[in-house]
Amino acid sequence: MADLSTTTQKLQFSNGDAATLAVTYFTAGLAVSVLHVTQGTDPLVVIAAAFIVNSATSTLAFAAVATTGGSTAAAVLSGWMVATRFGLFAAALGPRLWPQRWKRALAAHMAFDPSVALALREANDDEARQAFVRAGLWLCVPWWTSAIVGALIAERLGDTDALGFDVILPALLLAIVWPQLRERSGRIVAATAVVAALALVGITPGGVPELVGGAAALLVLTDRVTQADRVARC
Amino acid sequence: MLTWTTVALLAVGVYGQRALGAIAVDPTKLHARLQRVLTALPLAIISAVIALQAVTSDRAITIDARAAGLAAAALCAWRRLPLLVTVLAAAGTTATLRAIT
Repeated sequence: MADLSTTTQKLQFSNGDAATLAVTYFTAGLAVSVLHVTQGTDPLVVIAAAFIVNSATSTLAFAAVATTGGSTAAAVLSGWMVATRFGLFAAALGPRLWPQRWKRALAAHMAFDPSVALALREANDDEARQAFVRAGLWLCVPWWTSAIVGALIAERLGDTDALGFDVILPALLLAIVWPQLRERSGRIVAATAVVAALALVGITPGGVPELVGGAAALLVLTDRVTQADRVARC
Repeated sequence: MLTWTTVALLAVGVYGQRALGAIAVDPTKLHARLQRVLTALPLAIISAVIALQAVTSDRAITIDARAAGLAAAALCAWRRLPLLVTVLAAAGTTATLRAIT
Protein backbone atom coordinates (compact mmCIF):
# COMPACT_ATOMS: atom_id res chain seq x y z
CA MET A 1 0.00 0.00 0.00
CA ALA A 2 2.18 2.75 -1.29
CA ASP A 3 -0.15 5.52 -0.16
CA LEU A 4 0.23 4.70 3.52
CA SER A 5 3.28 6.46 4.86
CA THR A 6 5.16 4.51 7.52
CA THR A 7 8.11 6.76 8.31
CA THR A 8 9.46 6.39 11.83
CA GLN A 9 9.97 10.07 12.61
CA LYS A 10 7.81 11.48 15.38
CA LEU A 11 4.85 13.30 13.88
CA GLN A 12 2.13 14.14 16.37
CA PHE A 13 -1.37 14.70 15.07
CA SER A 14 -1.55 18.50 14.88
CA ASN A 15 -4.30 21.11 15.07
CA GLY A 16 -3.55 21.84 11.43
CA ASP A 17 -4.28 18.20 10.55
CA ALA A 18 -7.54 18.43 12.50
CA ALA A 19 -8.63 21.61 10.72
CA THR A 20 -7.79 20.23 7.29
CA LEU A 21 -9.74 17.03 7.95
CA ALA A 22 -12.72 18.93 9.35
CA VAL A 23 -12.98 21.40 6.45
CA THR A 24 -12.40 18.74 3.79
CA TYR A 25 -14.94 16.27 5.12
CA PHE A 26 -17.49 18.96 5.93
CA THR A 27 -17.33 20.07 2.30
CA ALA A 28 -17.46 16.54 0.98
CA GLY A 29 -20.44 15.64 3.16
CA LEU A 30 -22.35 18.71 2.02
CA ALA A 31 -21.69 17.99 -1.67
CA VAL A 32 -22.52 14.28 -1.36
CA SER A 33 -25.78 14.86 0.52
CA VAL A 34 -26.98 17.55 -1.88
CA LEU A 35 -26.15 15.29 -4.80
CA HIS A 36 -28.04 12.29 -3.41
CA VAL A 37 -31.12 14.35 -2.53
CA THR A 38 -31.23 16.09 -5.93
CA GLN A 39 -31.11 12.61 -7.52
CA GLY A 40 -34.29 11.75 -5.66
CA THR A 41 -33.12 9.99 -2.49
CA ASP A 42 -35.16 10.66 0.65
CA PRO A 43 -33.17 13.10 2.89
CA LEU A 44 -33.58 10.74 5.87
CA VAL A 45 -32.05 7.87 3.89
CA VAL A 46 -29.15 10.13 2.88
CA ILE A 47 -28.49 11.02 6.53
CA ALA A 48 -28.72 7.36 7.61
CA ALA A 49 -26.30 6.39 4.82
CA ALA A 50 -23.71 8.88 6.08
CA PHE A 51 -23.81 7.32 9.55
CA ILE A 52 -24.10 3.61 8.84
CA VAL A 53 -22.36 3.19 5.48
CA ASN A 54 -19.84 5.85 6.51
CA SER A 55 -18.19 5.83 3.10
CA ALA A 56 -18.90 8.58 0.58
CA THR A 57 -17.18 6.70 -2.24
CA SER A 58 -19.47 3.68 -1.70
CA THR A 59 -22.73 5.63 -1.85
CA LEU A 60 -21.40 7.74 -4.73
CA ALA A 61 -20.34 4.66 -6.71
CA PHE A 62 -23.77 3.15 -6.06
CA ALA A 63 -25.51 6.33 -7.25
CA ALA A 64 -23.25 6.63 -10.30
CA VAL A 65 -24.09 3.12 -11.50
CA ALA A 66 -27.79 3.53 -10.67
CA THR A 67 -28.08 6.83 -12.58
CA THR A 68 -26.37 5.40 -15.69
CA GLY A 69 -29.08 2.73 -15.89
CA GLY A 70 -27.32 -0.05 -14.00
CA SER A 71 -29.19 -2.71 -12.04
CA THR A 72 -29.40 -2.50 -8.25
CA ALA A 73 -27.12 -5.55 -7.98
CA ALA A 74 -24.42 -3.93 -10.14
CA ALA A 75 -24.76 -0.68 -8.19
CA VAL A 76 -24.43 -2.38 -4.77
CA LEU A 77 -21.49 -4.46 -6.03
CA SER A 78 -19.69 -1.28 -7.15
CA GLY A 79 -20.38 0.30 -3.76
CA TRP A 80 -18.82 -2.70 -2.03
CA MET A 81 -15.83 -2.94 -4.31
CA VAL A 82 -14.69 0.64 -3.78
CA ALA A 83 -14.60 -0.12 -0.03
CA THR A 84 -12.02 -2.93 -0.21
CA ARG A 85 -9.39 -0.38 0.76
CA PHE A 86 -11.02 0.16 4.17
CA GLY A 87 -10.59 -3.53 5.03
CA LEU A 88 -6.91 -3.34 4.12
CA PHE A 89 -6.48 -0.13 6.13
CA ALA A 90 -8.12 -1.73 9.17
CA ALA A 91 -5.88 -4.78 8.80
CA ALA A 92 -2.73 -2.65 8.56
CA LEU A 93 -3.57 -0.62 11.65
CA GLY A 94 -5.56 -3.08 13.81
CA PRO A 95 -2.69 -4.79 15.62
CA ARG A 96 -1.31 -1.39 16.72
CA LEU A 97 -4.58 -0.19 18.24
CA TRP A 98 -5.86 -2.59 20.91
CA PRO A 99 -5.23 -6.24 21.76
CA GLN A 100 -9.00 -6.78 22.15
CA ARG A 101 -10.57 -7.64 18.84
CA TRP A 102 -13.98 -6.19 19.71
CA LYS A 103 -12.43 -2.77 20.25
CA ARG A 104 -10.67 -3.02 16.91
CA ALA A 105 -13.91 -4.06 15.23
CA LEU A 106 -15.75 -1.04 16.69
CA ALA A 107 -12.99 1.39 15.75
CA ALA A 108 -12.82 -0.05 12.21
CA HIS A 109 -15.99 1.90 11.38
CA MET A 110 -13.77 5.01 11.47
CA ALA A 111 -11.11 3.54 9.15
CA PHE A 112 -10.79 6.17 6.43
CA ASP A 113 -7.89 6.92 4.10
CA PRO A 114 -6.50 9.91 6.08
CA SER A 115 -7.24 8.65 9.61
CA VAL A 116 -5.28 5.44 8.99
CA ALA A 117 -2.44 7.22 7.18
CA LEU A 118 -2.07 9.74 10.04
CA ALA A 119 -2.06 6.97 12.66
CA LEU A 120 0.50 4.84 10.82
CA ARG A 121 2.94 7.78 10.79
CA GLU A 122 3.27 7.63 14.58
CA ALA A 123 6.27 5.78 15.97
CA ASN A 124 4.72 4.12 19.01
CA ASP A 125 1.40 2.38 19.45
CA ASP A 126 -0.05 4.74 22.07
CA GLU A 127 0.45 7.70 19.77
CA ALA A 128 -0.89 5.75 16.80
CA ARG A 129 -4.06 4.96 18.77
CA GLN A 130 -4.49 8.60 19.84
CA ALA A 131 -3.90 9.87 16.32
CA PHE A 132 -6.40 7.37 14.90
CA VAL A 133 -9.14 8.26 17.37
CA ARG A 134 -8.59 12.02 17.08
CA ALA A 135 -8.34 11.96 13.27
CA GLY A 136 -11.39 9.68 13.09
CA LEU A 137 -13.48 12.05 15.19
CA TRP A 138 -12.23 15.20 13.45
CA LEU A 139 -13.26 13.54 10.21
CA CYS A 140 -16.51 11.78 11.11
CA VAL A 141 -18.20 14.47 13.20
CA PRO A 142 -17.92 17.22 10.52
CA TRP A 143 -18.85 14.68 7.82
CA TRP A 144 -21.98 13.51 9.67
CA THR A 145 -22.97 17.10 10.54
CA SER A 146 -22.63 18.30 6.97
CA ALA A 147 -24.49 15.24 5.70
CA ILE A 148 -27.47 16.35 7.81
CA VAL A 149 -27.18 20.00 6.76
CA GLY A 150 -26.77 19.06 3.07
CA ALA A 151 -29.77 16.74 3.11
CA LEU A 152 -31.96 19.43 4.67
CA ILE A 153 -30.97 22.34 2.37
CA ALA A 154 -30.71 20.40 -0.91
CA GLU A 155 -34.31 20.87 -1.97
CA ARG A 156 -34.10 24.66 -1.66
CA LEU A 157 -31.22 24.97 -4.11
CA GLY A 158 -33.35 25.09 -7.28
CA ASP A 159 -31.80 24.21 -10.65
CA THR A 160 -28.69 22.36 -9.50
CA ASP A 161 -27.44 21.70 -13.06
CA ALA A 162 -27.23 25.47 -13.67
CA LEU A 163 -24.99 25.62 -10.58
CA GLY A 164 -22.72 22.91 -12.03
CA PHE A 165 -23.66 20.36 -9.37
CA ASP A 166 -23.50 17.44 -11.78
CA VAL A 167 -19.72 17.84 -11.99
CA ILE A 168 -19.25 17.74 -8.19
CA LEU A 169 -19.27 13.93 -8.04
CA PRO A 170 -16.54 13.35 -10.66
CA ALA A 171 -14.52 16.30 -9.29
CA LEU A 172 -14.72 14.98 -5.73
CA LEU A 173 -13.77 11.44 -6.77
CA LEU A 174 -10.87 12.75 -8.87
CA ALA A 175 -9.51 14.63 -5.85
CA ILE A 176 -9.84 11.45 -3.74
CA VAL A 177 -7.87 9.22 -6.15
CA TRP A 178 -5.32 11.86 -7.16
CA PRO A 179 -2.58 10.64 -4.75
CA GLN A 180 -2.70 7.20 -6.43
CA LEU A 181 -2.33 8.86 -9.84
CA ARG A 182 1.07 10.15 -8.79
CA GLU A 183 2.34 6.56 -9.15
CA ARG A 184 2.87 5.27 -12.68
CA SER A 185 1.07 1.99 -11.99
CA GLY A 186 -1.89 4.02 -10.71
CA ARG A 187 -2.02 6.03 -13.93
CA ILE A 188 -1.88 2.86 -16.05
CA VAL A 189 -4.72 1.23 -14.07
CA ALA A 190 -6.83 4.42 -14.16
CA ALA A 191 -6.29 5.08 -17.88
CA THR A 192 -7.15 1.47 -18.77
CA ALA A 193 -10.30 1.61 -16.64
CA VAL A 194 -11.40 4.84 -18.33
CA VAL A 195 -10.80 3.54 -21.87
CA ALA A 196 -12.52 0.20 -21.15
CA ALA A 197 -15.54 1.88 -19.52
CA LEU A 198 -16.02 4.48 -22.26
CA ALA A 199 -15.60 1.86 -25.01
CA LEU A 200 -18.59 -0.05 -23.61
CA VAL A 201 -20.93 2.96 -23.29
CA GLY A 202 -24.14 2.36 -25.21
CA ILE A 203 -23.15 -1.24 -26.00
CA THR A 204 -23.60 -2.99 -22.65
CA PRO A 205 -26.35 -2.44 -20.06
CA GLY A 206 -25.69 0.37 -17.56
CA GLY A 207 -23.42 -0.62 -14.67
CA VAL A 208 -21.34 -3.02 -16.77
CA PRO A 209 -18.85 -0.34 -17.96
CA GLU A 210 -18.05 0.53 -14.31
CA LEU A 211 -17.48 -3.10 -13.34
CA VAL A 212 -15.41 -3.91 -16.45
CA GLY A 213 -13.38 -0.78 -15.74
CA GLY A 214 -12.81 -2.18 -12.25
CA ALA A 215 -11.19 -5.25 -13.81
CA ALA A 216 -8.30 -2.97 -14.83
CA ALA A 217 -7.12 -3.47 -11.23
CA LEU A 218 -5.88 -6.91 -12.34
CA LEU A 219 -3.17 -5.11 -14.34
CA VAL A 220 -1.12 -4.79 -11.14
CA LEU A 221 -0.60 -8.55 -11.37
CA THR A 222 1.54 -8.07 -14.46
CA ASP A 223 5.20 -7.40 -13.76
CA ARG A 224 5.43 -4.72 -16.43
CA VAL A 225 3.00 -2.44 -14.60
CA THR A 226 4.60 -2.80 -11.19
CA GLN A 227 8.05 -2.46 -12.73
CA ALA A 228 6.91 0.88 -14.13
CA ASP A 229 6.92 2.23 -10.56
CA ARG A 230 10.40 0.94 -9.86
CA VAL A 231 11.74 2.46 -13.08
CA ALA A 232 9.99 5.75 -12.38
CA ARG A 233 11.55 5.91 -8.90
CA CYS A 234 15.11 5.45 -10.14
CA MET B 1 -31.36 6.70 -5.88
CA LEU B 2 -30.62 5.19 -2.49
CA THR B 3 -33.34 3.33 -0.58
CA TRP B 4 -33.41 1.92 2.97
CA THR B 5 -32.71 -1.55 1.53
CA THR B 6 -29.73 -0.50 -0.59
CA VAL B 7 -28.29 1.59 2.26
CA ALA B 8 -28.57 -1.46 4.54
CA LEU B 9 -26.85 -3.66 1.93
CA LEU B 10 -24.06 -1.12 1.44
CA ALA B 11 -23.62 -0.75 5.20
CA VAL B 12 -23.30 -4.50 5.73
CA GLY B 13 -20.79 -4.87 2.89
CA VAL B 14 -18.68 -1.87 3.83
CA TYR B 15 -18.63 -2.41 7.60
CA GLY B 16 -18.16 -6.14 7.04
CA GLN B 17 -14.94 -5.48 5.14
CA ARG B 18 -13.73 -3.00 7.76
CA ALA B 19 -14.42 -5.37 10.67
CA LEU B 20 -13.00 -8.39 8.83
CA GLY B 21 -9.82 -6.42 8.14
CA ALA B 22 -9.56 -5.28 11.74
CA ILE B 23 -10.00 -8.64 13.44
CA ALA B 24 -9.32 -11.43 10.98
CA VAL B 25 -6.68 -10.35 8.49
CA ASP B 26 -2.97 -10.44 9.25
CA PRO B 27 -1.56 -8.10 6.60
CA THR B 28 1.86 -9.80 6.75
CA LYS B 29 0.22 -13.09 5.74
CA LEU B 30 -1.97 -11.65 2.98
CA HIS B 31 -0.53 -12.50 -0.42
CA ALA B 32 1.27 -9.43 -1.82
CA ARG B 33 -0.42 -9.84 -5.21
CA LEU B 34 -3.90 -9.99 -3.67
CA GLN B 35 -3.08 -6.92 -1.58
CA ARG B 36 -2.02 -5.02 -4.71
CA VAL B 37 -5.23 -5.92 -6.55
CA LEU B 38 -7.43 -4.94 -3.58
CA THR B 39 -5.61 -1.59 -3.40
CA ALA B 40 -5.98 -0.95 -7.13
CA LEU B 41 -9.65 -2.04 -7.31
CA PRO B 42 -11.18 1.17 -5.86
CA LEU B 43 -8.93 3.27 -8.11
CA ALA B 44 -10.05 1.36 -11.22
CA ILE B 45 -13.78 1.57 -10.45
CA ILE B 46 -13.61 5.20 -9.35
CA SER B 47 -11.70 6.13 -12.54
CA ALA B 48 -14.39 4.47 -14.66
CA VAL B 49 -17.11 6.26 -12.67
CA ILE B 50 -15.38 9.64 -13.10
CA ALA B 51 -15.15 9.21 -16.88
CA LEU B 52 -18.73 7.98 -17.24
CA GLN B 53 -20.10 10.81 -15.09
CA ALA B 54 -18.07 13.52 -16.82
CA VAL B 55 -18.35 12.67 -20.51
CA THR B 56 -21.43 10.51 -21.04
CA SER B 57 -25.15 11.17 -20.86
CA ASP B 58 -28.08 8.98 -21.88
CA ARG B 59 -25.67 6.14 -22.68
CA ALA B 60 -23.63 8.07 -25.26
CA ILE B 61 -20.36 9.97 -25.11
CA THR B 62 -21.12 13.68 -24.74
CA ILE B 63 -18.41 16.27 -24.25
CA ASP B 64 -19.92 19.37 -22.63
CA ALA B 65 -19.36 21.86 -19.82
CA ARG B 66 -18.79 18.98 -17.36
CA ALA B 67 -15.53 18.04 -19.08
CA ALA B 68 -14.24 21.59 -18.58
CA GLY B 69 -15.28 21.46 -14.93
CA LEU B 70 -13.41 18.18 -14.47
CA ALA B 71 -10.32 19.68 -16.13
CA ALA B 72 -10.48 22.53 -13.60
CA ALA B 73 -10.70 19.95 -10.80
CA ALA B 74 -7.66 18.09 -12.18
CA LEU B 75 -5.68 21.33 -12.22
CA CYS B 76 -6.61 22.02 -8.58
CA ALA B 77 -5.77 18.46 -7.47
CA TRP B 78 -2.44 18.64 -9.29
CA ARG B 79 -1.62 21.91 -7.49
CA ARG B 80 -2.65 20.19 -4.18
CA LEU B 81 -5.36 22.77 -3.49
CA PRO B 82 -7.93 21.99 -0.76
CA LEU B 83 -10.92 19.81 -1.61
CA LEU B 84 -13.31 22.75 -1.11
CA VAL B 85 -11.45 24.81 -3.72
CA THR B 86 -11.32 21.84 -6.11
CA VAL B 87 -15.05 21.18 -5.94
CA LEU B 88 -15.99 24.88 -6.20
CA ALA B 89 -13.66 25.39 -9.18
CA ALA B 90 -15.22 22.44 -10.99
CA ALA B 91 -18.82 23.48 -10.33
CA GLY B 92 -17.99 27.16 -11.03
CA THR B 93 -16.36 26.37 -14.38
CA THR B 94 -19.27 24.18 -15.50
CA ALA B 95 -21.88 26.70 -14.31
CA THR B 96 -20.11 29.64 -15.97
CA LEU B 97 -19.81 27.82 -19.32
CA ARG B 98 -23.49 26.92 -19.18
CA ALA B 99 -24.46 30.51 -18.35
CA ILE B 100 -22.57 32.02 -21.30
CA THR B 101 -23.43 29.44 -23.97
